[in-house]
Amino acid sequence: MTRAGDLWRFPGTRAAAFAVLAYLYLPIIVLVVLSFNASDSSLARWEGFSTHWYAVAAADGNMVHSIEISLTVACIATSIGTVVATLAALATARTRFRGRIAVEAFLALPLVIPDIVAAIAILLFFVMVGIQLGLLSLILAHTVFTIPIAYLPIRARLEGLDPALAEAAADLYATPWQSLRRIILPLIWPGILSGAMLAFIGSLGDVVVSYFISGPGSTTLPVYVFSMVRMGVTPTVNAVSTLLIAASASLLTLSYLLGRRFN
Amino acid sequence: MSNVRQRAGLLTPAMAVIGVLLVLPLCLMAFVSTLERGPDGGVIWSRHTLDPYVQFLFERDLMDRLVLNTDYLQIFARSIGLATTTAVLTLVIAFPIALWMAFQPPQRRTFLLFVVTVPFWTNLLVRNYAWILLLRNGGVFDRLAQSTGLTHEPLNVLYSPLATGIGLVYSFLPFMILPIYVSLEKLDRRLIEAAFDLGANRWHALTRIILPLSMPGIVGGLILVFVPCLGAFVTPALLGGGKSLMIGSLIQQQFGQSRNWPFGAALAFVLLALIVFALVLHALRYRRLAGRLT
Amino acid sequence: MKRFGGGSVVALDGVSLTIRSNEFFTLLGPSGCGKTTLLRLIAGFETQDEGSILVHGQKLDGLPPFRRPVNTVFQSYAVFPHMSVEENIAFGLRMQRRSRSEIASRVKDMLGLVRLGGLEKRKPAQLSGGQQQRVALARALATEPRVLLLDEPLSALDQKLRAGMQLELKRLQNEVGITFIFVTHDQHEALTMSDRIAVMNAGRILQLGTPEEIYERPTARFVADFIGDTNLIEARRVASGRFRILSGVEVEADGAGTIEDEVTLAVRPERVILGAPGQGPLAGSIDQIVYEGTDTTYHVRLAPGVRFRVCEQNRGGARPRFNPGDAVSLSLPADAVRVLVE
Repeated sequence: MTRAGDLWRFPGTRAAAFAVLAYLYLPIIVLVVLSFNASDSSLARWEGFSTHWYAVAAADGNMVHSIEISLTVACIATSIGTVVATLAALATARTRFRGRIAVEAFLALPLVIPDIVAAIAILLFFVMVGIQLGLLSLILAHTVFTIPIAYLPIRARLEGLDPALAEAAADLYATPWQSLRRIILPLIWPGILSGAMLAFIGSLGDVVVSYFISGPGSTTLPVYVFSMVRMGVTPTVNAVSTLLIAASASLLTLSYLLGRRFN
Repeated sequence: MSNVRQRAGLLTPAMAVIGVLLVLPLCLMAFVSTLERGPDGGVIWSRHTLDPYVQFLFERDLMDRLVLNTDYLQIFARSIGLATTTAVLTLVIAFPIALWMAFQPPQRRTFLLFVVTVPFWTNLLVRNYAWILLLRNGGVFDRLAQSTGLTHEPLNVLYSPLATGIGLVYSFLPFMILPIYVSLEKLDRRLIEAAFDLGANRWHALTRIILPLSMPGIVGGLILVFVPCLGAFVTPALLGGGKSLMIGSLIQQQFGQSRNWPFGAALAFVLLALIVFALVLHALRYRRLAGRLT
Repeated sequence: MKRFGGGSVVALDGVSLTIRSNEFFTLLGPSGCGKTTLLRLIAGFETQDEGSILVHGQKLDGLPPFRRPVNTVFQSYAVFPHMSVEENIAFGLRMQRRSRSEIASRVKDMLGLVRLGGLEKRKPAQLSGGQQQRVALARALATEPRVLLLDEPLSALDQKLRAGMQLELKRLQNEVGITFIFVTHDQHEALTMSDRIAVMNAGRILQLGTPEEIYERPTARFVADFIGDTNLIEARRVASGRFRILSGVEVEADGAGTIEDEVTLAVRPERVILGAPGQGPLAGSIDQIVYEGTDTTYHVRLAPGVRFRVCEQNRGGARPRFNPGDAVSLSLPADAVRVLVE
């Protein structure tokens, strides 16, 4: 469609947009490329393609253990968080009730409070209650943060649902439970899935909270990498970072494709 | 799902988890900030003191008198300054791309949105680490500058406030693009057409119609960047090299080497208060803004 | 000509129009007929693939909307929500860098013209739909454009308000003496307000004329059908001015053409005369009677598959003259029958 003098084109914004996209992706691409560099100096000198550093990472027992910890924590926290968030979304979506704004603000709290403040508050709590810093403390803390992340897409999906559907189900003798199981859940599951994936990525990516509350022997991967990076740059970190990028990017792509298919 | 009891039942798990594992700890943190520190770390639960807050502003000199000590205030000021600069810079960078995205055909818009969110969901640590590779001496930029003859000195950018700034802007850019994009996308196109129709050129349409009407998105973006920047811990630690201390690192120190939990809790509490203050300011402003629109 | 979607859909095709100055001109047609596209071409929001648009001899082609002496009243009003009534009206004048005093006096005039005095400080959200409509009008008229384009401006108003605004628009047009190009799909609106109407369908102009011409002497089947209620009957021309609609039933109508032509005849229901059996040349029986308040419509069956609607005003009250099943007769005055070209 031709438009009069390309009215909607603001000169320069196109170039600026591409520059920003380049800025957003340049560091990630450099990192991924360097992770396949044969050079052991990890400097920006290309010395041929190699998967050597992936092998080195795989041989690092501590790192493999931290990956296990991270995945365990992310899986459990995401499962609990998503179920809890779905229940909450069912209660708040498509209804107006007194205190709704307060409830929503409360649910968003974990995302609003700076993670360092939340981290030390939770640390103090665990110490006082006497919960050993370890797998359990990690799972509990991560669950808190998965709730608002999962909640938002699920609620958005519910908001998009025609309220007449539930009414029609009720009209056709479905009990609330039957209507939930047969009508609502099948229709919102793409939202639940994408909420769960985002929650999983969030849990996998957390550094600050995990840094404060992971005990000895229960280090998550980002915390392990964090300590490695503070020591200095090693090519192994490039390899592990690339794996983390691949994990989040593929989950995100999946959730994007799901969203496109069902919208 | 209209039933009140049913709703309460559905909400209870989420509220309970957040209440017990976040709100209660925050209260506890406030409580700890009024306690005396233990002789070797930890706290003495029975001994109350306001020392942590006094320590924030004063120090005791040799005569055990209280003298104003601006060290911590300076750290807060530096953090606030850095967060403000980052917020403004991200706004300048984000607005043109958000504007461009909002006026693309719908199919391309969803794709672009996806493209912008991928880095946003990429591990924060990884994103910062990638900048180390770019900025360090002997890294990508350094080599590029030296090989093109731009400079023969090492760049010495990494482990400087500049590097922290670059990292923060990079990390939080999507936080700015998304809300601005959302408000621009919702903007009624006919308002812009009406402005053109009434003789406004692009610049006037932008400054008189588009900018004022996308204010909620801009303010939202500023808040979304400012708040996490203020408490940023990973970026200053990795890119700033911990040389110029920021609030985040200062708090972390109290739980690390300094083993001064009450002081750490007090610092976190002051940070939280600052942010609540910013949010309340935003809410008031937003109400005024909403008032102007109604 | 205007194409959309890479040339596969032609939105406007061979449209050629001359609109007189100070005319209230209406583009009438169903949604998707191209009337809004035509309006947007004139305003400059879209560009035509072929052809030219001229206003008072000045070529507008290639000019952006902000350089055209043409203003638009949008269907959704598009009143700027962050500006007061006053600021909205002053917007175009400010863009033209008129002097402060001139802006103030123009705004005051406009407020008076659209009867919004006293509301200048209000925000659009504090105004009713009708008031927002007036702001949009005043805003578009403030810069004294050569042409005012109105894109279904009344469609969002309720019935009562709409009737009021129709009169108001007509009054405004008389007062300001600007050419109005009005787009609507509402035939009643078009008939009451316009000096001339162009009836459009599928990107073409089918008929152009005064409301009276369009209603009384439609030339195309679409026009006759779209505007008002019409009986459409297939017929065969048996002689000049004589048409056979059923075996042995012939009617008279103006219109020359070749004998044995298949044509469509159009007769307005209110022009058909209904009488007792034998009074008129066409015999039939009442199928159905529909009471419509001011009128009653009789559905009369002449033969299987051939029905006529006859509309009578309820002058004598609501009591119908006939009952379903009654035998009746119809007569069609020659000047009431229109011969349509396909």
